[in-house]
This record gives sequence, C-alpha cells and structure tokens, in this order.
Amino acid sequence: MLLLGYAALIILFYFLVGEQLHLRQSRGNRELPAADSGTVELTAGSVVEQSFITTIQRLEQIDVQWGTYYRPNAGTVLLELMDLRDSSVLLSGAFDAAAITEGGLTTLTAEEPIEGLYNVPLLLRITSPDCAVGSAASPLMNTQEKLEGGSLTLNGEPSEGVLCFAVKGTDYIWTGLHYWEFAAAGELLLLAGLGVIWLRLRQGRRSYVVNAVAAVQKYRFLIRQLVSRDFKTKYKRSVLGMFWSFLNPLLTMFVQYFVFSTIFKSDIPNYPAYLLIGIVTFNFFTEASGMALSSIVGNAGLITKVYMPKYIYPLTRVMSSVVNLGISLIPLVLVSLATGIEFRKSAVLSLFFFCCVIIFSLGVGLLLSAAMVFFRDTQFLWGVLSMIWMYVTPIFYPESILPEDFRFILRVNPMYHFLQNIRLCILNGISPEPSVYVQCTLMALGSLLIGALVFQKSQDRFVLYL
Amino acid sequence: MSRTVIEVSDVSMRFRMNSDKIMSLKEFVTTAMRGKLQYQEFTALDHVSFTVKRGETLGLIGRNGAGKSTMLKIISGILKPTEGNVVCCGNVVPMLELGSGFDFDLTGRENIFLNGAILGYSEDFLNAKYDEIVEFSELGNFIETPIRNYSSGMLARLAFSVATMVQPEVLIVDEILAVGDAAFQEKSKRRMLELMGGGTTVLFVSHSLSQVREMCGRVVWLEYGRVKMGGEAQEVCDAYEGG
Repeated sequence: MLLLGYAALIILFYFLVGEQLHLRQSRGNRELPAADSGTVELTAGSVVEQSFITTIQRLEQIDVQWGTYYRPNAGTVLLELMDLRDSSVLLSGAFDAAAITEGGLTTLTAEEPIEGLYNVPLLLRITSPDCAVGSAASPLMNTQEKLEGGSLTLNGEPSEGVLCFAVKGTDYIWTGLHYWEFAAAGELLLLAGLGVIWLRLRQGRRSYVVNAVAAVQKYRFLIRQLVSRDFKTKYKRSVLGMFWSFLNPLLTMFVQYFVFSTIFKSDIPNYPAYLLIGIVTFNFFTEASGMALSSIVGNAGLITKVYMPKYIYPLTRVMSSVVNLGISLIPLVLVSLATGIEFRKSAVLSLFFFCCVIIFSLGVGLLLSAAMVFFRDTQFLWGVLSMIWMYVTPIFYPESILPEDFRFILRVNPMYHFLQNIRLCILNGISPEPSVYVQCTLMALGSLLIGALVFQKSQDRFVLYL
Repeated sequence: MSRTVIEVSDVSMRFRMNSDKIMSLKEFVTTAMRGKLQYQEFTALDHVSFTVKRGETLGLIGRNGAGKSTMLKIISGILKPTEGNVVCCGNVVPMLELGSGFDFDLTGRENIFLNGAILGYSEDFLNAKYDEIVEFSELGNFIETPIRNYSSGMLARLAFSVATMVQPEVLIVDEILAVGDAAFQEKSKRRMLELMGGGTTVLFVSHSLSQVREMCGRVVWLEYGRVKMGGEAQEVCDAYEGG
C-alpha cells in the first residue's frame, strides 16, 4: 500500500513539475549592465564586437540594448553570434532600426536551445549593411564594468567597458536528470525500512514507527471528536456559523486591498490574489500556533484527570486550523478565477507547500504549548513575535521594497519561502526547482523535530505546573 | 479472581515546591539571579506498595492530603512517580469529576461521543451503547440540548452513565457516588455492584466510611503518604474511626 502510494506520488510529482524538474534558469545568465554611454553610431561598415565566455548549458536568447540619439532612425542592423573556435555562425538576425526605441532591446532567440556552449568563447557581432550617418542607432555600453574572459572591440579598436547585452538560458538540474534513479532509491529505502520494521516486529521488539502508527489508529476517533468539537464550538451561537471561515480572509483581503492597493498595486500583477494567498497562509500559521499554544494550559482540567498522550491536544488544535484552511481555500480559488488566473497543473503543487506550512506550524505549536506550561509569559511574547513575523513576511507588500541589507531576513524566514513558492505555483503557474522542495521539507521537518523533542522532554512535568 | 491487575511497588512521589510558584519568565530569571531558586521537597507518597487483584474493590481512605488522589493519578498514568513503578494491566477508566471532560456548548449527544472518546472507547462501541447510555442517564429529550442548560444533577448523571457503560478493567472512582437524587444514587450503586460482579477492578476513594464498608472488600489507609494500615474493610475502617 505504502509503496504503491509512494510510486503514485512520485509519478504525479513528475508530471506536475514538468520542465522545471530538469531545467532551471541558468546560474550563468548575464543581466544587462546599466548603460552609461553609447558605443559607436552603427552605420554601414561599423562593427561592434563583444567576445565572452558563457557558462550556460542551454543558450536560449541574447538581448542587446540600444540608444537612438533620440531621433527616428532607418535601415537594418544585423546581430550575429559566432563560435570563436571555428568561426561558425550560431545565431543571426536582422532588425529594423526604425523599430528600435531609446533603451529598447533587440532579442536574438534560438529556435531550439543551443547546447554545448559551456565555457566556449563566443563572439557577438553587431553590424549594419545600410545605415546612414544621422539615422543610425547605437548599441549602448557600460564603461566601468569589466567582463572576465571577454573584450569589446569597436570598429576593430579594443575598448574599455562592456556592451549592454544579456544572455539567457537554462541549465540541466542534476537531480532532475536522475529523477528516476532517485525515485527508485527512495522506493528501495522505503522497502528496506519496512523490512527492518517487520523483522523487529517478528522478533517481538518494539519500534517507534509501529508504536506511532498504533497510536494514530488507537486515538483516531478521539482526534476526530476533538477536532469536530473545536470546529463546532468555534462558531457556535454565531448566525453565519462556519461561513465565517470563508468570509474572514475575504473581508481582510478587501480591507487591505483598499488600504494598500494604491501603494503596491503597480508593482504586483494580480494584487488581490497575491494578497489573499498571503493572508490565508499566514492566518493559518498564526491561528494554528496560537491555538496550540493554549492547548495544554486550556485543557488542564482534562490533563490532570485522564491519561492520554499529551501531543494530542496541540495536534488536534492544528488539525482544526487545517479544516479552517481548507475552507478558506475556497475564496482563494474564487478570487483567483475572478481575477483571471488560469490554474495550471502546477497549482496542485502548492498543496505540497501548504503541507510544509502545516508541519511547520505543528512544530512551532508543540514548542509553544510546552513553553506556555512553564512560563505563562509565552502567550504575550508570542503575540508580539507573531506580529513582527507578519510584518517581515511579504504578505501585503512586494519583497522588492525591502532594501538589499534586510534581504537576509527573508532568507532565514521559513514562512517567506513557503509563501513565495505557493504564489509561484498558483500565480505564475510554474514549479520551483527541485532543490526548493528539499529545502522547504527540511525547514518544516526541522521545526517539527525541535518542537517534538522539546515537548517529549518536558511533557512528564506538565502536570506539576498546571 | 487471582490475577493481579494493579501492582504498586515501592512508589514514592516527591514534588518540588517553590515557596511561591514561578509562573513567569521574569520571575524565574530574577529569582534565579538572586540565587533564591530553592525548592522545598514535599513528599506526597513515601514508599507505598500494594497490589490489587482482578475483580477486587479496593478502598483508599485517609485524611485530606494523605496522598489518595496522587496515588490515583499515578495509577491512571497522569503522573509519573519519582521512584518505584506501577504495573497496570488493561484500560483504566477514571470517572471524571463533574463535567471536566464536557464541552458546555455541545449537546448531550455530542458530549457522550466526546467524553467517550476521551475515556478511550471506540466509535462502534459508542454507537452500539448510545441508547443504553441515554436511557440510564434518564435525560430523555434533553440529550439534544446544549449541556450548559443542564442542572448539576443532570450533568453528574450523564458523566456517570458514560463512564460506567463499558466493562473497564479498572474503574477509578473519586468521591462521586453521591450524585443525583436518592433514586439515581441507588441506581448507580447497583450499577457499580454489577460492574464489580462482572470482574471490574474498582479503586474507590471516599470520605464516607459507610460507603466504603458497603462497597469495598479491602481497604488501604494512607496517612502522610505512607500506608498506615491495609486489610479487610471492616477492620481498617474500625481502626480509622478509632484513631
């Protein structure tokens, strides 16, 4: 059963991730440098040559930035990409100079990505067969920058600086190429694990895994009862009942949308959906961790009278928040559809990151609930902390407004990674690269591990402090 | 009748007591810095040993603070003893103090399932026994109303009905037989006797000696955390009354 489930998941994942499994934006991509000067007026007979070495595995396109001297131009410009080893022309294209705008780009696109150019010296040559003086454009350059392993030549004269050009392509991802090997290895590991457990069981020894599974079996009914209790009592005596789970994020979104839309709207495409994903995800985190925080102290009456595994209390609180999360996904889908997002297959992958958020919250919840027993200050501290956390997570603002110096806050903030990838899956319709999945899984499991360890170590002393 | 169900061997329970309980981080840090983190040891149980055999009804008597409730908590697994250990076979069902496993916003029916789940019953079992529980509790149509509208007697009846509906291996009763009106008390006593007849081991804590004499076969008398006396119910009760 388990093995089949694993295999099914692996195959499903393969199809959902699609191209992003094998290819990622190349690390060797070259961005446009800031232009600070023109090169030469590109009349017939002028040549601008930029040699460079790329570390892109699959070269896809080259952009060149132009200046027009702020006048209408005419004629044709010719872009050629040559392989310096044998002087063969890899790519070439002719562009109408009249269509070039000041600071505009001409793009040389490969029909099929060109492979085999890794660490190969290349030459980008820009010429014009017919441009006349006074109506010719000029490629722009940056005079300060230096290009490692490349040089700029203007009409045959070597020159300082770098041409304003960008090179884009993709690289193969090693794990993606060996996906099936990895999958098979995982399957074998799982098989081996099951084998070991089975052997231990036959020898009559106890194993943690079996115990955990048995506990889940035994307490499933209890957990279900507690979750339904939480859920029933949450909106008891309110007229709209569980409809609030649905309305709450929507109303928050409307308020924040009206408040912030004038500031951030232009920076973010589809701001309502962007905002709502942030609100739903982060609301879940604060709700789950906040409820788990009080779960032990709040159930003191039960804990001191009946024996049951204590992790059940934070666990059920987090699970009832998961039910809430499920409901609040409905407005998310509705708003996304209403604002014109097409759901691609990668949207399903966002569920993976939602799972990461859930596991992460459970870890935090376990940690907090244990801390709360010993120090009642925890709830107030957490109130402040979660507020700070909310503001350092880009929920209603684009991450680009953070100054470079503070970017490190984002990198160490797991909620940021989860949130950003959920947005990537839903809004952009593409999957992040495989290493991101591993990263997020590790962050989630790390939190769970720490929380569970602290909880486990301290749970025997809970009763004495309640 | 001879299988040992509960074996309490040499159990000690010591609490660390601060002169006042430290509940906040600030207090903890400040007292720790002043070097005043001193704990007074308080011994609630001191090398207590006894065994209970299957089907027996053991009474625990003693003054307030003698360690009766601590003993029960250790047996039901809520507290871990500082020393010694307790071996307990089978499922232990504690009869909760009134309403502690209940949620007051839920109806009686929902509470039966919730409380049953907390006591470790299975879903099938509760479905099968649901009618019996309702009938025994004499709640009738009130079962569909939220229990915040119940009287205390109704709550107690509900709690008792849920707790005794199983045939638990060990039932822990901490002074709650005096619930409901006289008729219900009579009924619950009959139910208890029925359970004992069916092989349930009962641990019974009460200050009412007449009840203890009536229900229990053997009695353990605790005083200041030690076993003062243990043996036949009549004998120990007489001694307790005399002392």
